[in-house]
Amino acid sequence: MSSLVLKMAWASLARRPTRSLLVVLMIAVSLWGLLLMQGIYDGMTEQMISNAIRSDAGHLSIFARGYRLDPSLDLLVEPEQGPAQEVAGGLGNEGPGLAASLAADPRVASHVVRLRQNGLVATSHYSRHAEIIGVELEGEQLQGRLADYLTTGKYDFGPKGKGAIIGHKLAAKLQVRLGGKIVVSAQDRAGELAGTALRVSGIIRTNNMGLDENAVFIDLARARGLLGVESGVSQLALLLAKGYGEEDLAALQGELRAGWPDLAVSRWDELYPALMQSRVLMRGFSLVVSGLVFGVAGLGIFGVMLVSVLERLREFGIMLAIGAGLNTIRKTILLESLLMGLAGFLAGALAGGLSLLYFRRFGLDLSVFSEALAEFGMDAVTYAIIRFSYFSEALAAVILATLVSVYFSLRVLGRSRPMAVINKG
Amino acid sequence: MAVFLELSGINKKFQPDKEVAVLALSGVELAIDQGEFVVISGPSGSGKTTLLNIIGGLDSPSSGEVRLADLLLTGLSERELSRLRRDHIGFVFQAYNLLPVLTARENIEYVMRLQGVGEPECRARSGEISAKLGIDSLLDKLPHQLSGGQQQRVAVARAVASTPKLVLADEPTANLDSKAAAALIDMMERLNDEEGVTIIFSSHDPMVIAKARRSVVLHDGRIVTNVRHDLS
Repeated sequence: MSSLVLKMAWASLARRPTRSLLVVLMIAVSLWGLLLMQGIYDGMTEQMISNAIRSDAGHLSIFARGYRLDPSLDLLVEPEQGPAQEVAGGLGNEGPGLAASLAADPRVASHVVRLRQNGLVATSHYSRHAEIIGVELEGEQLQGRLADYLTTGKYDFGPKGKGAIIGHKLAAKLQVRLGGKIVVSAQDRAGELAGTALRVSGIIRTNNMGLDENAVFIDLARARGLLGVESGVSQLALLLAKGYGEEDLAALQGELRAGWPDLAVSRWDELYPALMQSRVLMRGFSLVVSGLVFGVAGLGIFGVMLVSVLERLREFGIMLAIGAGLNTIRKTILLESLLMGLAGFLAGALAGGLSLLYFRRFGLDLSVFSEALAEFGMDAVTYAIIRFSYFSEALAAVILATLVSVYFSLRVLGRSRPMAVINKG
Repeated sequence: MAVFLELSGINKKFQPDKEVAVLALSGVELAIDQGEFVVISGPSGSGKTTLLNIIGGLDSPSSGEVRLADLLLTGLSERELSRLRRDHIGFVFQAYNLLPVLTARENIEYVMRLQGVGEPECRARSGEISAKLGIDSLLDKLPHQLSGGQQQRVAVARAVASTPKLVLADEPTANLDSKAAAALIDMMERLNDEEGVTIIFSSHDPMVIAKARRSVVLHDGRIVTNVRHDLS
């Protein structure tokens, strides 16, 4: 029987090919747009998150407790400090140090240390607030590929370590170019004003607003000298190795908190809550748009199926008269609309999937809006993301829209008696 | 012979609006035995179609009872009536009413498929019945590719293929020329003889009426004549 039901459903669609094709096309185009939008929006969000993780937060950042409220040079992390444990006469910090533990942990791909201090950067004409960040370039490259963010200059502080890599917005505000002289000054650990003259060796664009507007990266050893800090760092950021996920991150965070209770161990989303909100917002926006798109698609199917049912009332009446139950007729109508919905889904999924593959490989170049995008921490070229869930959710939405849209048509039939239907038809 | 179909006190009133009521059937009493070949005749509007619809459970009487093989039809749900029609009653309509998207073979096999009969058995039965009705060369054609007479023969094949106990035909020859009409009635008579199916059909064609073994005449919703003919 099912083959006959399928044949009748298919034949009914083929009876009005233009109308059926229009609905299929409507679903396909809606789905294509939806998939493209989801993939590109998610790509934008993930790029923003990736930028924040690579350029600053890592997957986990470790600070001295209280540092984030009061970023003082008195609140530093000692990378060589061992975990807290009971020793004779109380608590002690024996065992391998924090940095050594992280280096030995297979879950950790890399970690970097940074010494940070707020200060001033000045040229002969302008001065601005700056965040002086002492870094080890090799480690930063290994962790966040910082060199990839260079727009001009070299990824190098020079042989004497007198170079500085600064954010492109800061460079623009200071009107300083590559090789230009800058003076950075800040309060050192003793509370005295300290300063040093540097030359701009590189300018970076990370699309992390904080860094692009304020960052002055200098050699870690020079930063220590400038700020009078013999040991200790402000931040230790680490990246999780490939193959490890959310659960591993949470476990590692817990272990670090337990081992070093005097340190604050924060995930990237705790340091950049706006990015997490942005991810949630994008998801909500995407759901709303999905609802609208499939509302429209559902209305299309509803219109077509209602007309289709009304113009075939006589046929259904005959079926009822010769002994087909309402269920058989319902199955035929449902199958008919499902065939239409699934054809639209397949066409839309194919077009959307291929477009997403293209934009994942080549990116969507929005350079004309690069300044505006950068204000939101977005890259000028967005690389799309493809997730299986886009397709599974879309399929569920198509099926739901189909079922809801034929509900009223089925109700029209449900109230009918065979002869009344035949005579109406 | 036991009574196969029994109608007692059947009234059917249609009320197109509040102030108008039409009595389509009035006090119809009728008993038909298994294997009879009955024609219901009468002028247009006499209630032939309404009576057939009530017998087949396609419509319900305003009052009265219909019993088919000891089963009381009045009071059955739509689902039960649908199952009854599927398993025990074959219909032939005046306007053929074949399903337009199915081939002649699929139309013939449709009710059997609904009954859950397997494909090989359906094939065998549709082949057998179409050979008897001379339509075996038309099985792969769609209804719109067939003439009126051919479509009506397919409709008859559909009605009897599922071996119903009762075949109801509402003016099956109305859209056929006299030759095709005579051939169709001969064929139905043969099926009645060979398959033992009870056949009740309506007509106002004297040539067709003359072929029936029992004639019921309706006038203004009442049975005015109910006679058996000896055709031997």
